[in-house]
Amino acid sequence: MSDEKIIIQVDPDLEELIPGFLENRNADIAKLRSFLDDKDFINIQSIGHSTKGVGGGYGFDLMSELGAEIESAAKESDADKIRETINQLDDYLRRIEIEYA
Amino acid sequence: MTIKKSEPSVKVLIVDDDNDVLNLLENWLTTEKFDVKRALSGLEALNLVGIYKPDLVVTDLYMEGMDGMALLTELHNDDPLLPVIMLSGQAQIPDAIKAMHLGTSAFLTKPINQNEFLETVKRVTPSLINKSILGECTKNIIYKSKEMSDIIEMASLVADNDVSVFISGATGTGKEVIAKAIHEASSRRNHRFIAVNCGAIPEQLLESELFGHEKGAFTGANVKHEGLFQAANGGTILLDEIGDMPLALQVKLLRVLQDFEVRPVGSTKTYPIDVRLISATHKNLEEAVEKREFREDLYYRLKVVPLEIPNLAKRTDDIPPLTEHFLANYAKNNKQDYKKFSPDAMKYLVSMPWPGNVRQLMNVIDLCATLSKNKTIPLSLVRKAVHDDPIHIQTLKESKQAFERGYLLSVLRITHGHVANAAKIAGRNRTEFYKLLNQYNIEPASFRDKKHTEKEVN
Repeated sequence: MSDEKIIIQVDPDLEELIPGFLENRNADIAKLRSFLDDKDFINIQSIGHSTKGVGGGYGFDLMSELGAEIESAAKESDADKIRETINQLDDYLRRIEIEYA
Repeated sequence: MTIKKSEPSVKVLIVDDDNDVLNLLENWLTTEKFDVKRALSGLEALNLVGIYKPDLVVTDLYMEGMDGMALLTELHNDDPLLPVIMLSGQAQIPDAIKAMHLGTSAFLTKPINQNEFLETVKRVTPSLINKSILGECTKNIIYKSKEMSDIIEMASLVADNDVSVFISGATGTGKEVIAKAIHEASSRRNHRFIAVNCGAIPEQLLESELFGHEKGAFTGANVKHEGLFQAANGGTILLDEIGDMPLALQVKLLRVLQDFEVRPVGSTKTYPIDVRLISATHKNLEEAVEKREFREDLYYRLKVVPLEIPNLAKRTDDIPPLTEHFLANYAKNNKQDYKKFSPDAMKYLVSMPWPGNVRQLMNVIDLCATLSKNKTIPLSLVRKAVHDDPIHIQTLKESKQAFERGYLLSVLRITHGHVANAAKIAGRNRTEFYKLLNQYNIEPASFRDKKHTEKEVN
């Protein structure tokens, strides 16, 4: 995994919402890992679905794509794919840097 | 009349079980000046609907408990016309089809795009667009009262439909201002708005003014004249004081409204017209119908959407902002410092009956601003101004002069500034006619170049 920052340009009107939004996504990562340990694919699918639905609206397009992948893998009960995508999402969240423009 | 208010916001209820989605939608909508309430479930939304009375509901499709489809069904049981936008994380066509069958106004898939979302919100609720346009057009309209807010709301709803609007209200309440705002908020706004005062023009001239005439149609009609209905083609015509329209002309107007065509005086040809008609009066037309002074069939044709503008005394909330507005205008027009009323003077203004309505209020404020030597206008001066200008009813002389001036303008318009012809119509010799024109400072040449003007016919 790279440490290179990923610059995301976000609408300044959303500035107040972004910290809470990202906090929730980090909390999702913890939940996803926990659900994966329990092989609870229903809840994983639900979080993937939500992540897909909300990411792009805030300006995080890749987040929506990864959410869709998690949702799809959960439907297939594909634990390896889910783990790999959760790691990608985690990495993405750690590297993003917001520019309000 | 002048009105202004922070425009009544359009109310949107957003429903999603994800707070981050609600945050995002709320942010987008409030930035666009929508009023937003949020619900985390279908049930919470249903409980809120009765209290909040939203203009639009935006709901997620998949939610725990009551989902978007069930919510839509419940909402439409109560109000089948309430627009609902359904959001779904799945682009599944059967869901979209089912939602559309159930009466969803639009179906959007997540992730949601801001522009697409806001455009959809505006598209599915036509009144939203009208409201924003109307808000733009009513920048000079000042109001704060619920009564006027309701009038503006209704005006915005009908603005873009071609239905006939009938505005009633006492003199000075601002009927023409509302008519103009409706025109400006309609898709006809790029065409003309022509206001005609039916009470100020003699019967024979009124017919010619409205429908036009052919060359030689009557004495003095030496050139063909295009009527105001044709001049307003594509736009809006306001027939003010419609209650004063002679019965014979009422029949002709009814025919125009039925056939959408006009036949100029002395012509065998008819011309198609595409004009939105707004009528206004201070009279009680129902009484006029009972007395057979006004045709019942025409009355119902005109009164598809009635808007009744209340007297100023019935909407006292409007008096303080109107007062401030008129004072600011006075200061600007006269390049003076802004004056204000003392608190007891303002209280007095609010408590007055204002039989002459907004026009009278404006006159009194102008008079106070002129007479006051101080920046704060005292109660004593307001009392005096109101007493000096109790209703501002015109004197008989003023009224005669206003009529005479309007008459002269009409004949000059019809004869395209030809003084000899105008004098013939008026039954005066040329010298006398010129004297009258001088007396009212009317320049006949100004009627010669322009084919027609769109200024108000008084």
